[in-house]
Amino acid sequence: MTARTVIIGAGANELVAAHLLAQAGNSVLVLAVTESDRLDSGWVAPQIVRALDLERHGLQASTPDPWLALPVAPDERLELWNDVARSAESIRRFSSTDAARWPEFCERMARLARALETLALEGPPDPVGEGFGAIAEMLGVSLRMRRRGRPALEDLLRIVPMPIADLLDDWFECDALKGALGAAGILHLRQGPRAGGTALNFLQHHAGCAPGVFRPAASNLRLVLTQLPGIEIRQAQVTRILVGGGQAKGVVLEGGEEIAAERVLSGADPQRTLLQLVDPGWLEPEFVRTLRGIRSRGAVAQVVLELDREPGFSTLAIAPSLDYLEKAYDDVKYGHVSRQPYVEARAEGRKVRVHVQYVPHTDLDAAAREALAEQVIRSIDAHQPGFGGSVVQKTILLPADLQNRFGWPEGQMHHAEPALDQWLWMRPTPELARYRTPIGGLYLCGPAMHPGAWFNGACGYLAAKRALEHGRTSTR
Amino acid sequence: MKPYDAIIVGGGHNGLVCAAYLARAGKRVLVLERRDRIGGAAVTEEVFPGFRFSVFSYVVSLLRPEIIRELDLPRHGLHVLPLESTLTPLPNGDYLAQWNDHDQNRRELARHSLRDAEAYDDYGRRMHHMARAVKPLLAMAPPDPASLHPRDLLGLAGLGSHLRGLGRERFHELCRLMTMSSADYLDQWFECEPLKATKSASGIIGTLAGPRSPGTAFVLLHHYMGELDGVFRAWGFAKGGNGSVSAAIAAAARSFGAEIRTSAPVERVLIESDRAAGVVLEGGEEIRARRVASSADPRRTFVDLVGEKHLPAEFVAAIRRYRFRGSSAKVNLALGELPRFRCLPQPGAHLRGAISISPSVEYLERAYDQAKYGEFSQRPYLDMVIPSLLDPSMAPPGKHVMSIFVQYAPYRLNGGWTDARREAFGDTVIDTIAEYAPNLKSAILHRQVVTPADIERTLGLSEGNIFQGELSLQQMFFLRPAVPWARYGTPIRDLFQCGSGTHPGGGVMGASGRNAARAMLEQGV
Repeated sequence: MTARTVIIGAGANELVAAHLLAQAGNSVLVLAVTESDRLDSGWVAPQIVRALDLERHGLQASTPDPWLALPVAPDERLELWNDVARSAESIRRFSSTDAARWPEFCERMARLARALETLALEGPPDPVGEGFGAIAEMLGVSLRMRRRGRPALEDLLRIVPMPIADLLDDWFECDALKGALGAAGILHLRQGPRAGGTALNFLQHHAGCAPGVFRPAASNLRLVLTQLPGIEIRQAQVTRILVGGGQAKGVVLEGGEEIAAERVLSGADPQRTLLQLVDPGWLEPEFVRTLRGIRSRGAVAQVVLELDREPGFSTLAIAPSLDYLEKAYDDVKYGHVSRQPYVEARAEGRKVRVHVQYVPHTDLDAAAREALAEQVIRSIDAHQPGFGGSVVQKTILLPADLQNRFGWPEGQMHHAEPALDQWLWMRPTPELARYRTPIGGLYLCGPAMHPGAWFNGACGYLAAKRALEHGRTSTR
Repeated sequence: MKPYDAIIVGGGHNGLVCAAYLARAGKRVLVLERRDRIGGAAVTEEVFPGFRFSVFSYVVSLLRPEIIRELDLPRHGLHVLPLESTLTPLPNGDYLAQWNDHDQNRRELARHSLRDAEAYDDYGRRMHHMARAVKPLLAMAPPDPASLHPRDLLGLAGLGSHLRGLGRERFHELCRLMTMSSADYLDQWFECEPLKATKSASGIIGTLAGPRSPGTAFVLLHHYMGELDGVFRAWGFAKGGNGSVSAAIAAAARSFGAEIRTSAPVERVLIESDRAAGVVLEGGEEIRARRVASSADPRRTFVDLVGEKHLPAEFVAAIRRYRFRGSSAKVNLALGELPRFRCLPQPGAHLRGAISISPSVEYLERAYDQAKYGEFSQRPYLDMVIPSLLDPSMAPPGKHVMSIFVQYAPYRLNGGWTDARREAFGDTVIDTIAEYAPNLKSAILHRQVVTPADIERTLGLSEGNIFQGELSLQQMFFLRPAVPWARYGTPIRDLFQCGSGTHPGGGVMGASGRNAARAMLEQGV
């Protein structure tokens, strides 16, 4: 029997889910609602590659090398390479102690990243799940963590809740190195490096990477999935999810067209899916309160610069110390754009994409917008003379723009902030952690779900698996 | 001379509790205190003639009821006077008062926010349930999560079944409380800034973290712990100051036969063939015992008293990583008259409770910002009590003592703590209060300022941390002070830890001392 499944959104998560469901014999319609988001950054787990035979279909991943370069003094850059020894060489120019510790640090962190990969691709454990199955599952997870050995388990328990600043202070003395690494702990998070849980964010950026690399690779995942046959993709804006008798019945498109479906998967964030697309009245007030409690504060602006020549760097980041990052956070804490933001620029030919943090989700007038872009250009120019003069065009996406364009709530790429209290069985809330919603046949498959946007396509992979399992049990 | 069954290093409340429980079990116990008086940070001193102060810790909030019961502390002189209210004066001349009396509290809250007045009861009930959920964990020796020893597996299974037994909703709420910031947590409940700020302030005490730092929500529970047991209200004040808490525990310990020696500074733990065999005092006196338990903090115990050469390198690294970062100070004032707060100038019940300078979450967060970069807060968070109103014996007739807990005063102050900096800091505190109570400056007869550096020097608490180590997520439960030595044992045989640097740590609670005594007894002291 073919069941019609409608999927809202056409990002990597939605497409992975679509293909998995199609593979299982469902007829699947994907509705591309918003402009497809970002570059496909994030690790594509081997489980997903295998399940959809992506390697054969041309999946390619690449990490820039060096993956981060930090100006320290005029003509001096700290460069972190994909090769541990080569990074150590660069670090040695600033601190021989730190260079000596680098290989061990890389090894210890890699061990933790392997543990997080396991946790990420298993679906969130449910410590208070009912029945013998849930207990067995929890014991299984604990055993797999324990089997990694005492040092890894101890590190995991201790480091995950830590502030990234404390972790780096335990290992290193060089401010620039700590700034460069600390940045991975705060990416997309409205917290400073001294906040608990930023070490977890740091480690999540290490998942799927080689030892010593703390930025996930970029891939052509979405492109490959779009070209893969077996599903139907249509450009259409969904205005409503039809519900009848507590069961999802289909969707309504802009213009009024109704599409019937037995199952709906939404890649939009939980609040939009359940509070805007679903008719009010289907949800318990207590549950609505929980939904509104999901934190998704955006903290990042994207600046895209077109140059008249190649910029002379492949990557450049401004984070001279942990205090620099912390001070940048101090501003946003009180609702202001960082006076001296964290800036991470990546060049693709003559185009430079810049990640700017922290920028709050507030309205900025045209002048403030312009000032922010100018400041970003100036700060890069200070380390790359001539850069400012080469800019011919600039595009600024503030959190509000990211929300409008990509559907990121408040501009938050992860949909639900990647904080400690929104992790594992708490992601995005315990009630939703199993990808199901209170509406029968309606599932969530966006990055607000476990394991989040660091793992490209993994939310969709797990949501589809859950939907298929559930489909089997409910038809029995 | 026949060796003691156990020597306890340090006569603070945890050391005394540990000694009392061991003595109660029939053991021959000796407590050695470096200072000329017992009590550690729980002492009452006549700092100025006629004026008596709880110089360091100043309220009884968390002392475990089972300890009060089992050691029969009221019979030994413990008398707790309840603090009935918390007053938060506001810069605009208004105030927020929280009262223990339910109706009075509701009326006052409704004046600020009807919604918060509605939410308050639900919040209280939720916290009450959560405090009940956590309570059994306080008395638990944390299992080693990586061990396959049956004892640890049983402990983990017990922990697992306790958590599962809470049920879905409470378990998830506990997870939230463990991982959220106190400000984020309270944002879910309340809108009134002074209410959120005053409540979230309890989450930052003793820690170099702000109310928006994750991991601070957990401490919100502490306020509800005491109430749970019905022994006394959340916050109380010991008659005679906090020294009388120590005196009562010491009296109980002595009644069971424990010996207590003051002015007996331990120089090192005597280690013979990898076992603790006793201690050596400064001056060379050697006292032998079958077991030694240290109530000093982990750094003192392992780096100073034991010595790194006796310890495995991994463990030394873990202790070096263990964080103290003292961030709080005390200012003790002898007053010629009561302070008159602009918001409520007349003397009244509001002065008999706590008075908190915490007008908004942003105020606290800004205070933290300065401390992050090594400066003391220009406008610090203050928690004040006037014990002489509850217990007139603390001050001469008609005069008063005021105890002010101050945060943030970072141990690592830029340029270090000097006499001049200490006084400048004291001035800042007084200036802050004077904005709310203008007569304060002229009411001051004497002033004592106790910085983290002073706390370290006087009490031996590393970096002046009042909890013997930050109460942050990475230093809790089986991580306190380090895996796998969170069960009160140490890598040295017959050497134990019984201070607040072990689970559950923090506050004048005594749970570490009691848990340690039980762990020692289980191992056949």
